[in-house]
Amino acid sequence: MRKKKLPVLAFILLSLVLSGCTGAIAWPGLSATDEVAYLAHTTTVYAVDMKTHNELWTFSGEKTGFSLFNTNPSMFIVTPVVTKNGLVIIVDSSNKHVMYAVDPNDVTENTPAIEWKFNAVDGLWIAPPLEVGDLLFAPNSDGKVYVLDLTDGKSEKQAIEVIEVSKPGEGESRLWAQPVTDGERLYVTSLDKSVLAIDLETYQIVWHADLGGAVPGGVALGGDGMLYVGSLAKQLERFDPATGEHQPVLDTNGWIWGTPVSDGDNLYFADVEGYFYSYNTAEQRLNWEPVQPDASITANPLVMGDHVLVATESGGVYSISANGEVDLWFQGQEDSQAYTTPVSAGGFVLVAYLESDYYLVALDDEGDEQWTFPGK
Amino acid sequence: MKNPGNQTQAQRPELPKINPRETLKTFAVIAVLVLAFSNFSFVIDLVVNILIIIYQFVGKNFGIAIILLTLLIRLITWPLNAQQMKSSKAMQELQNDKEWIAIQKKYAKDREKLAQEQMRIYRERGINVFGSCLPTLIQFPILFALIPAITYAIGSYPLSILKLSKSLEAFGLQDVASLIPLNSKFLGIDMGLPERTLVFGFGIPVLALIVGLTTYIQTKLTMPPSTNPNDQSAATGRMMSIYMPVMLFLFSVNYASGLSVYFVASNILSIIQYAMMGKVNWRNLLPGGQKS
Repeated sequence: MRKKKLPVLAFILLSLVLSGCTGAIAWPGLSATDEVAYLAHTTTVYAVDMKTHNELWTFSGEKTGFSLFNTNPSMFIVTPVVTKNGLVIIVDSSNKHVMYAVDPNDVTENTPAIEWKFNAVDGLWIAPPLEVGDLLFAPNSDGKVYVLDLTDGKSEKQAIEVIEVSKPGEGESRLWAQPVTDGERLYVTSLDKSVLAIDLETYQIVWHADLGGAVPGGVALGGDGMLYVGSLAKQLERFDPATGEHQPVLDTNGWIWGTPVSDGDNLYFADVEGYFYSYNTAEQRLNWEPVQPDASITANPLVMGDHVLVATESGGVYSISANGEVDLWFQGQEDSQAYTTPVSAGGFVLVAYLESDYYLVALDDEGDEQWTFPGK
Repeated sequence: MKNPGNQTQAQRPELPKINPRETLKTFAVIAVLVLAFSNFSFVIDLVVNILIIIYQFVGKNFGIAIILLTLLIRLITWPLNAQQMKSSKAMQELQNDKEWIAIQKKYAKDREKLAQEQMRIYRERGINVFGSCLPTLIQFPILFALIPAITYAIGSYPLSILKLSKSLEAFGLQDVASLIPLNSKFLGIDMGLPERTLVFGFGIPVLALIVGLTTYIQTKLTMPPSTNPNDQSAATGRMMSIYMPVMLFLFSVNYASGLSVYFVASNILSIIQYAMMGKVNWRNLLPGGQKS
């Protein structure tokens, strides 16, 4: 009997080893109001009370299908979006392709009620949707932007418009960044090395520009009225929002993954080689030579008035002053990784972590730890 | 009280002589395994780079790239697999050997003496007792590396693309930025995600079922015939023909479908290799065929 058990034990061991092989393949999504932090981390979305630091509810998707084949878990990695009418938009980035709107005020058994859902897409959800008026613009990895009506009262949403972004014959575009709007047009970036503008009234593509590299981040609206986009071609490009005419304005040391952030005349962004840049859009020059905190940077910078915070792959949060001085503001646990953009809300700076004992840490305005959220 | 130190040399059981060549081979395999697992990230990077080179070579098709990678692995491990088949066959034949059966009966209550006699027969017949398991062990690092390699290489998620770029830059072989976006689709299936086909609203893992089926067929076809009802290796083989398909089905349900493509291709290539060496037992697929 012992001999017969041996292969079974060997297979169990093999399955355990195989299960641990892959590791994380995506970083968490984080958003917050002054009252609640929303963290999309691997298979669960957590709502955390900013005052008590306790979990308010969790959401792990809707159980569907025959249980034997439902072992493929949902994946929540996209930044949850809180709409003006108080719903929280959560997307499942697994191959279930479902977008949920949940009501955080209607919680039963620690789970919020699903107000509506939408899954008529062919690709993965990687980008958060953008709320514009009563509409939701949701970019998908299938190369389409889905326009949903937030006021139609339907529990199973259908897109009122599907905007095809893929270039004919060139396959999928893979839209990975939240769109940006200036009120007239919607600006969308794509991994197929392009940026495009869509008219918000007609949903027609106004212009479509090709870049030298994929664009995983979004568009920044500069203080000079121009658009700025970074790409994997290691360049920052400036666009005329009306025509789409563009030119590279800066070569960087590495891929620009995140979305540049503007505070008027200055544009802040970083690259995956770990360099941080401060670019003066009015004078078209760098404010100072790029600084290199300590590791790869994928997160967007967080402007905090007189300084900018940036999270790095090594788990550090660095404060960079107006004249380019770099200070380690907070260091996460050993081997922890911070790929997600930090969020400022409720008097705290929230930082989400991978490979750490806690999923979330709240820091005060000096960078001192105030509380942590352990997650599962 | 007995003192083991008083046991004379003559009373001690004679240990079988060590075959230096076989021992060296065993140590070499163990050394490769230790090296692979102690620097596992190198193995992953290596597999990622090979996969991406093939992907570019075949016109950016991950399904074809995975099939060709499987073929490459099969060709590299061909001598090991051939040795495994030879050792398995020798062990199988031993189970039906009169002398082997006789010593099992004779020394049924004396395990030490039985072990000595078994080792003597192994030595006399030139059988390497590790010959059937070491080749399998050496393929484990490749299999374990394939899971993260397929996940990173296909790049369906942001972090996997960053890991892919680091893997490729470690070897300095690829212009990573020009590769993105990667084409992860093969026959309409995203190779980076577990596959489900919707049938009446239920997500059926068709590819995983094909993995289970081909694994079952492969295990059955490559199982040597046995006439000895007490044949332990035949009993293990029968168990494997049940456990292996179930386990690989469960892996395939949960992991990237690219891994399922690897399993299916590997099963088919294994059957082809066995057929080329004349060791496929087609009768095993028939009901009751295994008994003959």
